[in-house]
Parts: sequence; structure tokens; C-alpha cells
Amino acid sequence: MTTTEQAHHTQAPPAVPPAGARRLIFGAGWIRAAWMSALFAGIGIGIVTGIRALAGWEPVWDWQPIMTVAFLTAAPIGYLVGIGCFDYWLYYISGRPTRAEDHSSHGAHSWRDYFRVNTDHKVIGVQYVTTTIIFMLAGGLLAMFFRAELARPGMQFIDPQTYNGLVSVHASLMIFLFIIPAFAGLANYVLPLMIGAPDMAFPRLNALSFWMLPVAGVIMLSSFVVPGGAFAAGWTNYAPLADVNPDGNIFFQMAVQWAGASSIATALNFLVTIITMRAPGMTFWRMPLLVWANFTTSLLVVVATPFIAGSQFFLLFDRVAGTDFFRPDGGGYVLGYQHIFWFYSHPAVYIMMLPGFGIVSEVIAVMSRKPIFGYRLMALSLMAILVLGFSVWAHHMFVSGMATWLRVPMMITTLLIAVPTGIKVFSWCATLWEGRLHFTTPMLWALGFVSMFVIGGLSGIYLGAVPIDIHVSDTYFVVAHIHYVLVGGSLFTIMAGIYYWFPKMTGRMYDERLGKLHFWTTFITFNLTFFPMHWIGVQGMPRRVSDYVPEFANWNFFISIASFALGASFVIFIYNMVVSWARGPIAEANPWRALTLEWQVSSPPPIFNFDEIPQVVGNPYEYGVPGARHAVLNGGGARTEELEEVRAH
Amino acid sequence: MTSHTVDVHADHPPIANQSSRVSAPVLGMFLFIASETMLFGAFFTAYFFVRVVNPEVTTWPPEGFHLPVFVAGINTAILLTSSFTMHWALQSIKRGSRAGMQAGLVLTLAMGATFLATQLLEYSRIGFAWGDNSFTTIFFGLTGLHGAHVFVGLSLLTMATVRAFRGHYTPEHHHGVEV
Amino acid sequence: MRKGAIVTMVVIGAIVGAVVACIAVFVDWLPEQASEEREGIDFVFWLTTWICVGIFTVVASLIIYSVMKFRTSPDDDADGLPIHGHTGLEVVWTAVPFILVTVISVASGVVLARNQDAGNNPLRVRVTAQQFAWSFRYPNGRESPVLRMPLGRSTELRLHARDVLHSFWVPQFGQKQDAVPGIETRLVVTPKKLGRFPVICTELCGLGHAVMRSRAIVMRPAAFRRWLARARANR
Ligand code: HEA
Ligand code: HEA
Ligand code: CUA
Ligand SMILES: [Cu+2]
Repeated sequence: MTTTEQAHHTQAPPAVPPAGARRLIFGAGWIRAAWMSALFAGIGIGIVTGIRALAGWEPVWDWQPIMTVAFLTAAPIGYLVGIGCFDYWLYYISGRPTRAEDHSSHGAHSWRDYFRVNTDHKVIGVQYVTTTIIFMLAGGLLAMFFRAELARPGMQFIDPQTYNGLVSVHASLMIFLFIIPAFAGLANYVLPLMIGAPDMAFPRLNALSFWMLPVAGVIMLSSFVVPGGAFAAGWTNYAPLADVNPDGNIFFQMAVQWAGASSIATALNFLVTIITMRAPGMTFWRMPLLVWANFTTSLLVVVATPFIAGSQFFLLFDRVAGTDFFRPDGGGYVLGYQHIFWFYSHPAVYIMMLPGFGIVSEVIAVMSRKPIFGYRLMALSLMAILVLGFSVWAHHMFVSGMATWLRVPMMITTLLIAVPTGIKVFSWCATLWEGRLHFTTPMLWALGFVSMFVIGGLSGIYLGAVPIDIHVSDTYFVVAHIHYVLVGGSLFTIMAGIYYWFPKMTGRMYDERLGKLHFWTTFITFNLTFFPMHWIGVQGMPRRVSDYVPEFANWNFFISIASFALGASFVIFIYNMVVSWARGPIAEANPWRALTLEWQVSSPPPIFNFDEIPQVVGNPYEYGVPGARHAVLNGGGARTEELEEVRAH
Repeated sequence: MTSHTVDVHADHPPIANQSSRVSAPVLGMFLFIASETMLFGAFFTAYFFVRVVNPEVTTWPPEGFHLPVFVAGINTAILLTSSFTMHWALQSIKRGSRAGMQAGLVLTLAMGATFLATQLLEYSRIGFAWGDNSFTTIFFGLTGLHGAHVFVGLSLLTMATVRAFRGHYTPEHHHGVEV
Repeated sequence: MRKGAIVTMVVIGAIVGAVVACIAVFVDWLPEQASEEREGIDFVFWLTTWICVGIFTVVASLIIYSVMKFRTSPDDDADGLPIHGHTGLEVVWTAVPFILVTVISVASGVVLARNQDAGNNPLRVRVTAQQFAWSFRYPNGRESPVLRMPLGRSTELRLHARDVLHSFWVPQFGQKQDAVPGIETRLVVTPKKLGRFPVICTELCGLGHAVMRSRAIVMRPAAFRRWLARARANR
């Protein structure tokens, strides 16, 4: 592991844990997490049964509230306390003197440090990315299972409940535990570096956000072992089907709360970091586009995520407490759920895309050796997407039976999003123009992204046009759209980002040949898997079905085979990552000759990123401009003449 | 009012550049409140759909159900007053009067507790349960969410009070009280 | 730009455009057209398709051309031309998509309004969806598990759901509508072809969702009238 070799300029000695069993059991760590989860679960059970006994509700031992309170709320809190997320705050709250910040929880000195609560944004970034990749593999594996079932019409391996469970968990893991947090993880690593900050604004909150994430994932996966099976109402979990789903549905409702809390906390952290911790000279118009992208995304998260929290709380209350939010027989309103859900979940699709736009802007500019085309318009179009994104939610409800007059305004705003998105696509193409293109692995993913995302975006235009959507809504055409924007879009950009920053994060270089092989196999099998879905959808194959008419048998067989190949292509990726991380050649500080700040420090960067806060003197993408500089490092006041000189350009 | 207000930059080398006039904890708190506002927004949206959009609801509240307007009025008054006592606590510590702050905090705590107690009492006497129909659901949903926030606020306030009595706040360092 | 470059661009564009257009034309995209509503839907579909073919061709040709022309060897460490932007171009690629999506919006809006209009003499059928079966009730009280409709007359479906959400779809009619517990929803279909078409539930509704199917049978008006009358006699 190379992290031990990093240049620690002002490194504190690694904290030596006092030996002894007491320390082992009561010190922050996995053992304490284990017994504390059990303890908290016990307390939870006590509270629920206690209240029920006092209030005289029968039966006192009711699984649903016990599951909700004890296992899905209290036990995770116990785990978080046990692992040590709250140590500092607990001291603070009780008014005891807090430990002076000794930075013992900064930096990773051995691989074990990645399994501890750590407040270093770089460690957290790596923790995020690896965790989310693991959940991606899990979600992908579930897809392999249900693709196997779909290979032939009729029912072969699994029953419909299992099928619906697999699809729902697949989508939920991919969305809430892969795409959204993977972007958060990459940004966690590079964003503070890019703006010249020593860390995030709230490092402990940052750690807490990360440690909440596995809770959500484990809850989702463990719903498979609940009697009755996993939650099986799709990732959209529409009422009233959610109410009659097996108890596994509670697991979705609570997992979303954990993932949502984690996501809000990170977003808040990003916003505060970007607003208050930029290096001197880093004006908003000098920020790299990745920073812009995360700024807009975080705004979306902070404003929209409470709505999905709300929607799942309502479902939970309807189910566990017997309330009537969405129950028509009690005067509730079924469609209210969809409005509230999509008011989050449409902005969520931009939460899953805008950071990717940022990554791709970095990669394309660097690998074309050119300034990004139309920088300001690129940033403004992100803002335009943010604003428009809040006014289109009902395009998921064109056939839902909502007020019919709402369709046309929602269609117009939906289609208008093509304009700012188009600005971005064309600007990327124009950035290539007259550039000197280096087809490194990240660049391949970035260009693959641009072409595939255009297909996905254009199928979005079909869906946005109401008459077409009425025909293809809830068919495989939508499934094709989902995967062109989420796999060809978001996943491709995440891959671009991982390969691009791999040398920075690990200090080693990945294998370029394997990287390219991974790209081409994924690119081809991805198209073979998902392009035919457009056709079977338009022809009449509905989504979320475990069985279908023989008419579609051949295509589905083809798609299933292609999807297995797509899955296999990720074996190359995993092999490349693991082997290169352990044994790859040592990476230079700046292998891509990039100008942005994260590349101006060693790979991996020193514990506190910069010895002295850098001075930003120019735009981040001035490739090809003679004498241009983005920032001056380690200079401080001494280099003022140089600064003046640079400014004069 | 929450625990994010710790002094996070304690002694990070190098000191981060402060690129905004707003301090990080205050901005963080502001964004947190924005996000909480949206959570209330979700509840009000549910209210909107159930009451306004739903074609089945014609009278609101349905016949036979009455809102406890009088008690609610008193309770609101209590809660509003408590923000003055909180303000008093804050002013006191700014002027360096620790006793004033302590008194202010305790008074605020007491009022908040009264509010919650009244609300709970009202719940038990109100004559309908949250599962009766969508009206009662929304009633308990909105008041319950609000009550839960008052409860969380009170818990945090208790912590602030504990710290106040242990002598943690000084005129220079009173962020914990401010938010 | 040199003349050679323009020629190469045009050639690439023509090839890409031809390939994409072939996919659009030679793949049999839409299912058989069996309702008047489908005429409008198909029109918007093809309008959008040609716009999208154009856009994809432009983007793909730009990328392919750049990949061919501007690639360089890994050890070349020169930089490209520092072009920062071009206001004229930016205006163009903001304005053109804006116009195109406006065209799609207007066409969609018109078609939508037409497809919602049941005329002044529709046949009203009450559709009830429940896990996992369809039931259709006619004005004279007759219930049927399959939907029978007279050719050429608008049928207005009024959809209800007993338990959870369902969705009524006949691909050949192109019209789709959810059935929602607690409210009534509405859908207009004007069949223009005799035959039997599948009725498919497209909203996930539980374990039997995949098999919640029925049939729509379009009959000659006279035959339909006889069927309806016989049905009444049978009762
Ligand atoms: C990364 C995620 C992502 C992104 C970015 C998008 C982007 C878009 N989406 Fe998509 N969408 C999803 C993820 C995403 N979507 C998911 C997950 C679902 C399914 C949810 C479920 O039910 O499970 C869904 C469903 C969905 C529906 C509902 C379908 C249905 O259930 O009936 C609609 C309908 O309007 C829609 C539209 C759009 C549009 C118009 C865009 C636009 O933003 C696209 C804009 C981009 C372009 C248009 C391409 C580039 C532009 C140009 C080159 C300029 C020129 C273009 C023109 C002039 C047209 N999407
Ligand atoms: C980012 C999001 C994301 C990603 C990456 C994927 C990835 C994949 N998805 Fe998913 N999908 C969704 C988001 C995503 N999906 C959403 C939101 C839905 C809607 C759900 C709903 O209706 O509620 C959906 C629904 C969905 C359906 C429709 C189900 C239905 O409606 O009945 C299908 C069908 O084929 C499918 C397939 C796949 C496949 C084959 C992949 C592949 O790309 C996966 C490839 C990856 C792997 C396979 C894992 C890595 C490899 C290994 C672990 C190695 C070993 C494995 C083998 C060699 C087999 N997905
Ligand atoms: Cu009924 Cu699906
Ligand atoms: Cu959307």
C-alpha cells in the first residue's frame, strides 16, 4: 500500500492505541459497533413494547414497529456510535473537555485505517469509492440473476416475488448506493484539493455521512432474508402497492432515510466548503467545472432530498401506524405519493448526472490540451438545468391520471432541458476541435459518455413528448432510456473519473491496456444489451415483468447473453484496479499535465493537502495559452512580482 | 441549535482561506434549516393534495371533527414567548452576563417543555386517532412533525444549558447558543 | 477551415447519417396501427425521430472527425489551439435546439388535444382493474372480461381500480392510462382496424402483473350491436 510512502510534511505520529481488552471492547471500532448495535436494538425493542404495553395496544409484540424502530433505526445508531462517529460530539455535548484536535484521525497509514472512522477527506473519498463499487457489483449481480430469468419466456428459476424483489433492489442499490454516493466520493477526494482547501468544512460530519451509507446498503440487501421477501414494488415504491408489499418494504423506506441523510449531510458539507474555503484568488468564475457541477448538485440535494424522506415517512406511517396519507378508503390521495416522490426523484436524475458532466469537462479539456469551450456558458447551463429540473417532475406521471392540464406545461419544461444540455454536448465537441487528443482510458470513457448520453437524452425527448410517452411509458423503451443515461451516462463518467484520478488517489498507475480493453468490451456489450430494448419496448413489452409473450423470446435471449458479457467486462475492471493498486508502477504527481490544483501536489497528496494555501491567479483550463498559470503554490507573499506578471497576461 | 457548530478548524495546518463573509457553521446551519424547511414542505404538500386536489374531500375538516383552536392558540403563544427568552439568553452572554444567560436558557427550556406537555395532553383528549381518516392523519402528521422538532430543539437546548452551567460559554465563544 | 477538411466532414456526416437513417427506416419500429389516435402519435414519433437522427448525426460526426483528425501520439506534449469560445456558435446551438423542441412541443400539444377528444357520441365503457384481471362494463349493464369495440366509433374508457394501480395499454392503439384507486381516469380510443389486440397491464401491480392481460376485439358496428343486444338477452 502506497499511502504509507506519502510525503508527510507535518505529520502527527500515528495514534498508538493503548493495549488491553478494555480498550478493545470499549474503544471505538468494530467490536464496540457490534455490541452497541445489539444493545441499541434491545433498547429499541424495550421502547416499542413498553409504549405499546402502556398504551394498551394489542399485540404488544408487533413485528412492524419493532423492525422499524429497533432494527432499522436504533441498531444502526448503535453501530454509528460504536464505530466512533459521535465520539467527539458526545464529549462536546456532555460538556466534558474535548480532545484537542491532534489529527490522529487524519491520513491513512495502513490499509486498516480505511476500516476506521477517519476525518480526512481523502481517506473518506477512497472509502466512498470502494464501498460504492462493491454495491455496484452487488446490484449488477442481481441484474444477472433476473436477466437469467428473462432469457426465456415463462418462469424458470424464480417466482414473481423474487423477480420483483431483484429488480427493485437492483435499481435501489444502483441509484442510492452507487451513482449518487460514487459521485460524492470522487468529489470528496478532489473537490477540496481543487479549490485549495486543506479539508472539507466539517470533517466529522463528512465521516458520519460516509458511515451512514453502508447502513442503507446493508438494509436493502438484508431485506431478502425478511419473511415474505425483499421490497418488490420497484425503486419508485408506488402507493398503494407498497402498502400491500411484504414487510421487506419497510427496509426500502428506512434505507432511503439513511441514504438520504447521508446525501444531505455531504451536500451541505460541499456547499459550505465551496462557499467558505476557496483559496485566495479562486473566484467563482475560476472554479473548475467539477466544482461548479458539485455546487449545483448539492443545491439540488439539499432542497429536494427531504421530499423523498417525506414520501417514505408517509408510506411508513400508512403501513406501520395505520394513517391515511395515501389510502383512498380513508380519504387519502393516491397520486399525492407520486407527486412528492418525483419532486425529489426527478431532480435526483440530475443529481446522478451533473457531477458526471463536471468530471467529463475536466477530462476532455486536459486530454484535448485545450481550454474548455465556452466555460461560462458551461457553468450557467448547469444552473439552468438545476432550475428547470425542479419544474418537470410530472413527466413521470403523464399517464398516471393526474390533472390533465398539467401535462403540456410539464412537457414544455421537460423538452426545454434539451437546450442547456445541448449547450454542454456541443461545447464538449467544440473542445475537441483543433485539440491534440490523447486517447487515454479516461478520455475514452469521456467520449463514450458523450455519444451514449446523447442517445439516452434523445430517448428522453421521445418520453418528454406526451403522445409518445403515452405509448411507451412503463415499457422497455423506458428501461432503455434509464440505462443509456445511467450506464452510458453516469456510470461511464464515474469510470472516467476513477481512471483519471486513480494515480492521484493511490499513487500508482493503472494498466492502460487493460483500461482500454475494459472500455471497449463495456462499450460494445452495453449497446448490445440495451439498444434492442428500445425496440421491444415500442413493440409492446411492458417493464417489470417476470414473464412475457413468446414474440419477444429471441430478443430477450440475445439481451441476456449480452448482459452477461457486460457483467464479465467488469471483471477486467476489478482485476485492473486491485492489481494496479497493489503493484502498479508509482505514479507521477501530474501524469496528465493538468493545470487544476489537485495535480500540483504529490500523488497521493500530503495529509493536509498543501503546506501553504495556494494563490489562484488564473483560469483552470488555460492549455495552450503561453505563460498562463492557474495557481501559485508554496509561494505566498514572496512571489508577488510573479503574480503581477501572470495577471498582466 | 445543533452539534455541527463545533470549532472544526481547531488547528489544521495550514489555515484554510476564509473565502466568504459568512462563517462555515452559520452557513451550514442555514442550509440545514433550508433542508428542514423542505421537509415541512413535503408535509404541507401532502396536506395540499389530500385537501385541495383530492376530489373526494368536500368539507374540511370532515363533519364531527374539530380542531382544538383555543389550546393551539395558547400553545403557539408559549412557543413564541420562548423565542424572546432565548434571545435574552443570547444577549446576556454577549454582554457577559452568565447568570442572565443561564436564566434565559432555563426559562426557554421550561416553556418548550410546557408546549410539548400541552400538545401531548391535547392529543390524548382530542377524541380522534391518526388512523381515522386523512384529516386526522394530516393533523397528527403536521403537529407531530412540529412537536418532534421542538423535542429535538429542546434536547439540544438541554445540552447547551448543561454546558452553560459548566461554564463553557464566554462572550467571545457563544456560537453554540447563537444557533 | 480548409476545403479538404470540409469534404471529409461532409463524407463522415453522410455515412453516419445514412447508417442512422437506415436504422430508423428499415427497423420496423412501431407496432401495427389500429386506432385513429395512433396516427397522431406516429406523426410525433417520426417527427421526433428525424430531428433526433439529425442531432445524433451531427454529434457523432463531430466526434468521429475529431478522433480521426486531432489524435496525437502519447509523447506529444504540445498543446492545442487555445480557443475559449465563440459567441456566434454558442448562439446557434442554443437557438436551434430551442426551435426544434418548440416544434416537437407544438406538434405534441395539438396531437394530445385531439387524442383526448371523444367527439359527441362516444361509447362509454367502465373499466375495472383489480389484481389481476380486467372487467369492462357497457352502458346497458353488460359486463365482459374482454373489451369489444365497434369499428370507427370513439370509445371512452372510464377506468377504476379496486386495489392498487394498474395501467391499461393496447400497443396497437397507442393509448395508455393508469387506473387509480379512489379516482376515475379517462381514455379515448377510436379503433380503425378489425382484429384482436392484446390488453396489457403496464403498471407494476403485484405478483400477477406479468400475466394481467386481456384482449381488445374490434368488430363491425353491426356485429357489435348484435353482440351487445344478445348480451342483454342473455342476462
Ligand atoms: C441520469 C439520469 C437521467 C437523465 C440525465 C435523464 C434525462 C432526461 N430524461 Fe429521464 N429518466 C431517468 C433518468 C434520467 N433521465 C430514469 C431513471 C427514469 C425512469 C424512472 C422510473 O420510472 O423508474 C427516467 C424517465 C424519464 C421519463 C418518464 C418516462 C415514463 O416513465 O413514462 C421522461 C419523460 O419525459 C424522461 C425524460 C428525460 C429528458 C427529457 C431528459 C433530458 O434531460 C435529456 C436531455 C439531453 C439531450 C436531449 C441530449 C443532448 C442534447 C442535444 C444534443 C441538443 C439537441 C437536442 C434536441 C433539439 C432534442 N425520463
Ligand atoms: C445506475 C443505475 C443502473 C445500472 C448501472 C444498471 C445496470 C444494469 N441493469 Fe438496470 N435498472 C436501473 C438502474 C441501473 N441498472 C433502474 C433504475 C431500473 C428500474 C427498476 C425498476 O423498474 O424499479 C433498472 C431496471 C433494469 C431492468 C428492467 C427490469 C424490469 O423492468 O423488469 C433490466 C433488464 O434487463 C436491467 C438490466 C441491467 C443490466 C444487465 C445492467 C448491467 O449494466 C450490470 C452490469 C454489472 C455487473 C454484472 C456487475 C459486475 C460484474 C461482476 C460482479 C462480475 C461477475 C458477474 C458475471 C460475469 C455474470 N435493469
Ligand atoms: Cu395490473 Cu400490472
Ligand atoms: Cu424525470
